[in-house]
This record gives sequence, C-alpha cells and structure tokens, in this order.
Amino acid sequence: MHLRVLVSVSAICILSPNSGLAEAIVEGRVNLPKSQAPPPVMAKRYEIVTNGGVLATKPPLAVVYLDGSFPTPTSHPIKQVAQKDLAFLPPFLPVQIGTTVEFPNLDDTYHNIFSYSPAKRFDLGRYRPEERPIPSVVFDVAGLITLRCDIHEHMRGLILVLNTPYFVITDESGRFRLSGLPAGHYTLKAWIDSKTTREQPVELKSGATLHTDFP
Amino acid sequence: MMLVGLVLTALALYFAQRNVAVTAERDLRENFQAEISSLHKVQALRHAALTERCRELALKPRLHAALEDNALDLLYPTAKDELRDLMEDAAPGKGEGANSLQARFYRFLDSSGAISPPPNPTEVGKLSKEAETQLTLKTLPETQQIGYVLETAHTLDGTMNEVMALPILSTETGEVISALVVGFKPYEVVDKSEATGLKSGIWVNGRLHLPSLPKSTQLKIENDIAQAVSKADGAQNSFKVTVDGMPQLLFYKPLNPGSLFPPAYEICVYSLANSIAQQRRLSWQIGGAGALLLLLGFVASHFIAARLSVPVEKLAVDSEKNREHWREAEAALVSTSEELERSARYSADASHQLKSPVTVLRAGLESLLNREDFKSEVYHELSGLLHQTYRLTGVIDDLLLLSRMDAGHVEIDSKPVNLSELIEEWLDDLGALPDSPDVKIERDFPPELYVAGEKRYTSLIVQNVLENARKYNRPGGQMRVKAANEAGNVVLLIGNTGRAIAWDAQKHIFERFHRGGTRSHISGHGLGLNLARELARLHGGGLRLVRSRDDWTEFEVRFRALHPVPAATAEVA
Repeated sequence: MHLRVLVSVSAICILSPNSGLAEAIVEGRVNLPKSQAPPPVMAKRYEIVTNGGVLATKPPLAVVYLDGSFPTPTSHPIKQVAQKDLAFLPPFLPVQIGTTVEFPNLDDTYHNIFSYSPAKRFDLGRYRPEERPIPSVVFDVAGLITLRCDIHEHMRGLILVLNTPYFVITDESGRFRLSGLPAGHYTLKAWIDSKTTREQPVELKSGATLHTDFP
Repeated sequence: MMLVGLVLTALALYFAQRNVAVTAERDLRENFQAEISSLHKVQALRHAALTERCRELALKPRLHAALEDNALDLLYPTAKDELRDLMEDAAPGKGEGANSLQARFYRFLDSSGAISPPPNPTEVGKLSKEAETQLTLKTLPETQQIGYVLETAHTLDGTMNEVMALPILSTETGEVISALVVGFKPYEVVDKSEATGLKSGIWVNGRLHLPSLPKSTQLKIENDIAQAVSKADGAQNSFKVTVDGMPQLLFYKPLNPGSLFPPAYEICVYSLANSIAQQRRLSWQIGGAGALLLLLGFVASHFIAARLSVPVEKLAVDSEKNREHWREAEAALVSTSEELERSARYSADASHQLKSPVTVLRAGLESLLNREDFKSEVYHELSGLLHQTYRLTGVIDDLLLLSRMDAGHVEIDSKPVNLSELIEEWLDDLGALPDSPDVKIERDFPPELYVAGEKRYTSLIVQNVLENARKYNRPGGQMRVKAANEAGNVVLLIGNTGRAIAWDAQKHIFERFHRGGTRSHISGHGLGLNLARELARLHGGGLRLVRSRDDWTEFEVRFRALHPVPAATAEVA
C-alpha cells in the first residue's frame, strides 16, 4: 500500500522538549491507511490488529519521529502498559531507548506478559494485580516489541522503542506536530505499521516551522 | 423305504452341517467386526483426546511467539516446557502406558514441510534419520494429519509410532507457518491377544509391523496385504492367509485415509483354528446325533413294524384256522344235514310204514267190536286195544309231523287265526273227556284274539298245552287260561295246579319222549310239548315253562299277533 503524506500544520503534542536556543517545529499529516473491514485474524478488538502479518493499530495511527544520533537521557523515564479487561492499555506505546515500562495488572486474574521479539525478549511470569513491585522491563534496544500474554493468547500490545527523544503519535486523521526540535539536517520518519516506515530528510531551522507531509 | 430315509437323513445332516459352518463363519466375522468396531470407537475417542491435546499445544502463545516473532531458537526450548506433560512418560527408564496419551517424540516442521532441527534431540524424543525423514511432508498440512512411522533403528522388530501433525496458524497472517508433529505409541487394538487369538499390527510403506507373528510370516503377509490394499476400494476388508499351516482371517482397514503421510492399514489376524476346531466338533456332534437318530429310527421302526405285523400274522393264522374250522363245520353241517334228512326220511318212512298196520289193526278191532258174540270182558279188552291203536296213530302222526318239520318240509301258510275261539273249543273238548279230573277252569282272555299262523298247527299247539294242563292236574284242582296282546305278540299263559315238575327234570321237559318221569299213570307219549314248541317256533313264537312249584305249573305260549280287522276279514272270507 502506498501512502500519500499530506502536510498540514497541526501539532498534537510535544514529547521531549530538548532544550535549544531556538526550537524547530515540524508539523504535517501522515496519510494513514483506511480503517478496513475487520481482518480475519485475532486480536481485532484489542486495538492491535494484524493484517497479512502486519501489526498495526486500530484505528490506524502513525508515530512520527526524528531519527538521528541523540545523547542518551540521563534519567530513565518510566511508562506504563497496563492489562485491563484482558487487553493492553495503551495497546501501542512508543518509547525512547532506556525507558522502563511497567506492566500493572488491572484485571482480577493472572497475566503473564512476555515477548519473544528480537529487540527485547522477556518473560514476566504469572502475576496477580497486587504484585509489587509492578513488573517492569527496561527497553534498551530500538525496535518493535510485540507484547503477548501466555495465558490469554489473544492479547497483543506493541511497544516501539526509538533511539530518539523526538517522536509523536498522530491523531486519527494522521496529523502531527513535533516541537522543540534541534536545528539541523535530520531524517523524519513515520512508523505506520510493523512493515511500513516512511522517511523524509528534513532541514530544521531554529524558530521555524516546517510543514512536512508523508504521502 | 429305508434307503430313502437314509438318503434324506444324510442330506438333512449335510445341509445342517453346511448351514452351521456358514453361520459360524458369519457369526465369527460379525463378532469380530463388532469387537473391532467397539475398539475402533475407543480408538476414535483416544484420537479425539490426542487431537484436542495437540491442538491446545499448537495454540500456545509462546510457540506462536517463537514462530511469529522470529525467535526460532526459542521454539524447541519453549516447546520443551509446553510439552512437558505430554512427554513425561517418554523419558528413558519409564514405562509407557498401554494406551496412554503420552507422546514419544515431537518435532516442528518448517514452512517447507521439513523438520526444524531440534537443538537437543534427546529432549524431543530420539528418532533415527530414517524415521525423521518419514515425518517430513511435501507441504505444511492445512488440517490435522495422521501418519504411521516405523522406527527400525533400535529393535529388531522396530517400533511403530502413530504421529499426529497439527498445523500452526500464524495469528498475524492466518497462514500455516509450521506444524507440530507428535509421535505416540499406536493404539493397540487388542491387548488380550492370547485369549482371543487376535493379533493386530500396522502395515505402512509396504512394511508390516506385527511383532506377535514370526518375521518370516510377516514378510510373507506383507506382499499379500500390498496386493490387497492396492485393489481395495478403501473400505475395510478381509482375506484368508495361512500362517504356520493354520488358516487365519486377516482384516485390514485404512488408518489414515487421505492423509499426507503414507497410507497405513490396521491389520488384524484372527486365527481360525478355534473356529475350525469348533466347526469340526460341531460336525462330529451333528454327525453323531444324526447317526444316533438314524439308529434310533431303525430300532423304533423295526420295533413298530414288528408290533404292527403281529396282529396281521395272527390274523392270517387265525384266518387259516378259521377257514379250516369253517371247512370242518361246513362238512359237519353237510353231513348233519344229510344225516338229518336221512333220519327224517327214515322217520317219515317208518311212520308211514307203521300207519298202515295200525289202521289195519284198528279196522280189525273195530270189526271185532261190532260182533256180539263175545263176552263183555272181551269187549272191554277190545275197547282197550282200540284205544291203544288211536294212541299209536297219535304218536305216529306226531312223529310224522316232527320228522317233516325236522326235514324242513313244513311250511306255514300264515293267516289270522282266532286264538280265543280255538281255546274255547279245546276247553269244551277237554271237559268232555271221560278221564277229566274235576278241575275248575279260569278263563281270562278277550273274545277276539287273533294270531298269525296256520289254523291246524295253532290248534295243535293249544291242544297240546291245554291237554298237558289237564293231564297233570290234581283232582279238585284249578286251571287258568289267560291270553292278552303284548307288544305285537299274543301271550297265552296256561297254569294248572298239581305236583310240580322236579327241578332237574324241568330242563328236559321239551325233549322228545320225555314225560316228567314219575307219573306213569298219566296217558301220553312224550311228544306233545316238543311238538308244540317246535310248531310255536315255526310260527315265529315260542313255548316255555314259566314256573313249576308250590302246586302250580305254568306255561307260556307266544304267538305273533295279527291285526284284528284284516284278520277278521280274512276269517270271514
């Protein structure tokens, strides 16, 4: 599937206010795939869907991030992916390398979160909601992590580990806004699904707002 | 007859025996198939259980994770955990349950259908290269597949494994990305083979695995089965084979029709030895029973025939005897008849011969009496002699009549005779006789009693009887004459007082020339009663002594009655 990226100016959120003298802003729109009829595979009602072996979110969302070589953060941020109503919440979480993700169990049953993804293999074992400390994993390699539960085989979650602090999830119409970016030549990437990542070279100027669409 | 019976019995026995043999074989087949069928149901249940278990395994998220998330290095380690329960008993040193659900080995097939090599073969159940090759499929299966793999590496007979291949579908693409192949010990159709003589095994890839048969036999049967299954239409079938000289019934049934694995057949060999022995025993029993039956039949028929023929033979003998007797009797009758006739003729001749001189004598005496020159004593003598000639004439007449009757020359011209009138006449005559004793006569009969007969003979009967009653009465005695109609007869009863006839003489009184013995003073010649009875009989009636005791003797004469009207008419005419 070819995506057209339309550029519009509409920022949604800025995740990492990396300080700079003059921050650049990128905004635009990612042409997201149409929300399709329910695919004939599992996990469709849990936000992460697979279609032809491609993992994506439903409704389709994209992660737009600024690729490049950025210094590792000194403090490890902590994020959470909970298990609620036999589903991951949020089902899709982009994080920066080094982020610790906690997996609190909000159901009143056991869960056993694990991943065999090359970027991170882990197995938290079975635990109940009252498990303390909350089982957590540090994601230190960039890549896509497929979260599974050994007890509930239909549960799927995605964690996208990025080596950049500058990333944002588009809204459902594909619009994004990245602010606080350092000036310079970078590659702006849009992760659309597990098999599709678009990229564009961008030149960011201080104080300037760049409109870039991903067709 | 005997031969027909023999042939029929033999035929019946033959058909009975044949019927028994056919029935026995059919029963055997049915029993066997029923038994097999029930075992197959158990087998199907076991399959279902195994399938369910393998299907659960194929859904395990970790296996899917390993396959889908490009973590093939984790596939077997993960499977080791997940299949631990299934493989527990397969560990070396532990026994294998007879028909347990424990697996012997497992492997994963990659996307090309080849074996994903396990990092540590001992953990997944050892298999020889040859056996592993048999697990390989040309393509990954869309559905569960059943196959049979013979592992020949470790034992002489080899080990038969039942394998179940389950597709593993990607949760991401829905496509078959792998297959889990699990090997089990095949379900043994019969465990109690010793008891039933049933041996079961599996034929696959042209090889028969039936360890309870000798290797040489297996090799021989392998070809037979190969030929049979190549022709079979897929349905369960059977044929006979000979093992060690003993006939066996061999059933084969496809175990995995339509499978991607090579076709395998369940082979059941059922020894017919018992059945044949049983049939032979049954044949002997039937034959023995038949022979016994035949023997009994012979004995019984002989006995019955003997019993039946006894009266027939007796009848024949009797009949011969009877014929003899009859001939004798006939001869005697002829001779008697001739004698009688001669006698009668003699009597008649004698009577005739006597009659003439008596008549001459009487005429002479009468002429003498007509003379008047004799003294009165002479007349008295002459009168006495004359009386004697009358008496003689009476005797001669009677004898003549009797002899005629004896010769059958007396014929009755039966007509109505007024008996009452006859009696009256004779009573009158009797009263007029000079030597009549003074007796009182009682009459008790209607005036018009008609009987059938000839008047002169009827008259003679009445005369004789009445005369008898008069002669043997006593002075001052009584005489009673009673007559009446009685059921088509006229019964005349004549009784008189007087000395009774002696008891021993009573049965002789109707004999000729018998005269009561003692009373010689009473005139008579001993023919009257005899003549009267013969005449009465000739008339269809009879004469008998009713009683003679206590001063009373009574005779009964029986005549046939005749209707008065025609009788009267006849009489008038």
